[in-house]
Amino acid sequence: MTACLVAAELLTPYGEGIDACWQGLLAGRSAIAPVTRFAAQAFVSRQAATLGNLSYHGGESLVMQMLTPLLKRLAPQVPADSRLLLATTKGEIDLLEQALLTGSGDPAASVPARLLAKVAALSGCHDPGTLVSAACTSGSAALARAAALIRAGRADSVLVVAADAVTEFVCSGFSALMALDPAPARPFDRHRAGLTVGEAAAAVLVMSADRARREGRPILGTLAGWGLSDDANHMTGPSRDSAGLIRAIGAALAVAGVDAEAVGLVGAHGTGTRYNDEMEMRAFRSVFAAPVPVHSIKGAVGHTMGAAGLVETLMALEALRAGVAPPTVNLVEADDDAAGWVAARPRPVSARAALVTNAGFGGINSALVLRGGPGGAA
Amino acid sequence: MIAVRGIGWLAAARYGSVARGLQEAFPAGEGPAVLAKTGVVPTPYRNFGRLDPLSRNTIAAVALALGDAGLTGRPGETQATGIVGAARDGSLAADVAYFRDYLENGRTLGRGNLFIYTLPTSPLGEAAIQFGLTGPLLYAAGAGAPLGSALELAAELVAGGEAPRMLAGEAGADAALYLLVDRTGPGGALCSLAEARAIVEPGDGVAAVAARFSALLTRKGAL
Repeated sequence: MTACLVAAELLTPYGEGIDACWQGLLAGRSAIAPVTRFAAQAFVSRQAATLGNLSYHGGESLVMQMLTPLLKRLAPQVPADSRLLLATTKGEIDLLEQALLTGSGDPAASVPARLLAKVAALSGCHDPGTLVSAACTSGSAALARAAALIRAGRADSVLVVAADAVTEFVCSGFSALMALDPAPARPFDRHRAGLTVGEAAAAVLVMSADRARREGRPILGTLAGWGLSDDANHMTGPSRDSAGLIRAIGAALAVAGVDAEAVGLVGAHGTGTRYNDEMEMRAFRSVFAAPVPVHSIKGAVGHTMGAAGLVETLMALEALRAGVAPPTVNLVEADDDAAGWVAARPRPVSARAALVTNAGFGGINSALVLRGGPGGAA
Repeated sequence: MIAVRGIGWLAAARYGSVARGLQEAFPAGEGPAVLAKTGVVPTPYRNFGRLDPLSRNTIAAVALALGDAGLTGRPGETQATGIVGAARDGSLAADVAYFRDYLENGRTLGRGNLFIYTLPTSPLGEAAIQFGLTGPLLYAAGAGAPLGSALELAAELVAGGEAPRMLAGEAGADAALYLLVDRTGPGGALCSLAEARAIVEPGDGVAAVAARFSALLTRKGAL
C-alpha cells in the first residue's frame, strides 16, 4: 500500500508555513543571525537560526510553543483514528536548563515520554503515540516508520510530528565538539567549517492511497521508499567509506522499486561540516552514474536536528512540484567533490522522484525516496 | 514466525542469559565492567570504563543477548543486526551531568565527552560500534512499558524486511535487558512474539522480566 503525504504544517525561522520556507530558500536568503536567546560569546559560533517570537525559560518549552499553534492548525485535517509518531532529539531540554539554572523545577520534566503525552493531547489522535529518536535522522526515521506501518497494513493514517529548538544546552555542546562554523553554515562549500544550529517544527499526515482517495485528500507526494542503517564506526564522525549511507540509499531505492537513474533531485543532509559533506558526496558519486542536482537547506534554516528530515522532505516535494531545485544558500565556491552537483542558484528540474538523506551521531543514516511533481504524486 | 532467540540481562547484583540458563552474581564491588574483563563482552573494549552507565549496561546486556542467540561476532566484523532501545527517562542522567558540569565550569565551555551521551540513542551507538551492528538504530518511547515499545518497533522492522534481526531492549542506571528478535523456525525460538509481549507488558523491571522469561522456558522444558 502506497504512503501518501496528504497534509502538512511547518514552522521554520522563515516563519509559518511551507510557502514561507520555500520562498525564503528560492530567494537565497539565510535566516541565520547572531543568537540573542542566551550568551554565546564564548562559543565557537554565535550564529543560529531561531524563531523570533518564542519565550526562552518562560515556563512553556520552546518546542511546545512551536507545536501548539502548528498542531491546532492541522487538527481539523487529522482523523482521530490516526497513529501518532513524534520525532525529536532534545525535545524540551530547555525545561532541564531552567530547573538547573534556577534550582527549582524538575529536570525530569524534559524526558521524552512527557513531551509525547503533551503532543498526543494536542494531536487530535486517540493513539497515545510513539516517540522515535534517531539523532539527526529522527524526522526521516519517523516518516519511514509511518510509511512502513501503511505498507504493512497496520495503519492507514499516521500523523508524524517533529520538533527541536535552539538552546544553550545544544549550542554549547556542538561548540565543545568544535562542530560549529563561526560564520553561517556553508554546506558543500570549499571553505565550510561546520554547522549552524536551527529550530523548526513540522507535522505531516501520511495516509494510505486508498484512504486518501476515499476521503478526497489532496496528495502532496508519496513516500515510495526508505532505508535506515548504521555505520557501526564512530560516535560523532561519519563513515570514511560512506558504506552506511550507500546501504541506506540502496534500501530506499529497492523499497521504491526504482533505479538510481529515476532520481532527479537530492535533498542532502549537508550540514556544512567537512566530514559529513564529504561522506555524502562520496555516497552520491557511488550511487549515481552522473551528477544529479543536490541541495542542502542548512545554510538557510540551520540544522534543525530532529525536525530536519520533515522540513527537508517538504522542501524536496516543493521542488518536485515547482520543477526547481532550490539553491544551497551560502554556497560560494563548491568543493571539488561537489562541483557540478550543487549550485548557489535555483535550477530547473523535471524530476518526478527525489532522494532525501540524513545522518546523525552514533553513525545513523537514513534515506527516503519521494515521488511528486506538478499536481502532487505521480 | 517472528520470535525471540536470545535474552541477556543484568541487574544491580546479578547478570544472566536466559537460553543458556546463566545467572551469576557480580563479584563483590564489581559491576558490568567485569564482563568486559572476563570475556562476556566478547572483544576487548578499551574504553568500557569511560562510557556512561547506560552505555555500559546496554553493551553488557547486548553482549549477553547476542551470546544467548549464538551470534557472537569476531572483532572488526559487522552484522546486519539493528537495535531499538528504550530508557524510562531517556538520557536524563547524562543531560544533567553535562549541563551541571557546564554551569559549574563558568557557563562558557561544555565537555564534548559528556555531551555525546546526551542523546537517547548514544548507548545504542556505542553498542553498534562494539558489535558491528549495521541495521536500523532507533530509540523508542511510548505510553506503556519502555521495553514493550522497543519490542514492537523491532518486530515491525523484522516483519517489514528492513533487518534480518533486531535487538530490542531497555537500559537504566543499574539494569538492562535485551532481546534478540528474528524470523526463527520453531526449533530456534525461545518464545513467540506474543509470549514476549505478555512478559514485558507489566513494565516492572529487568529482574522480574528476566525471571518470567526463565519461568516460561522452564515450563516449556527448554531449560
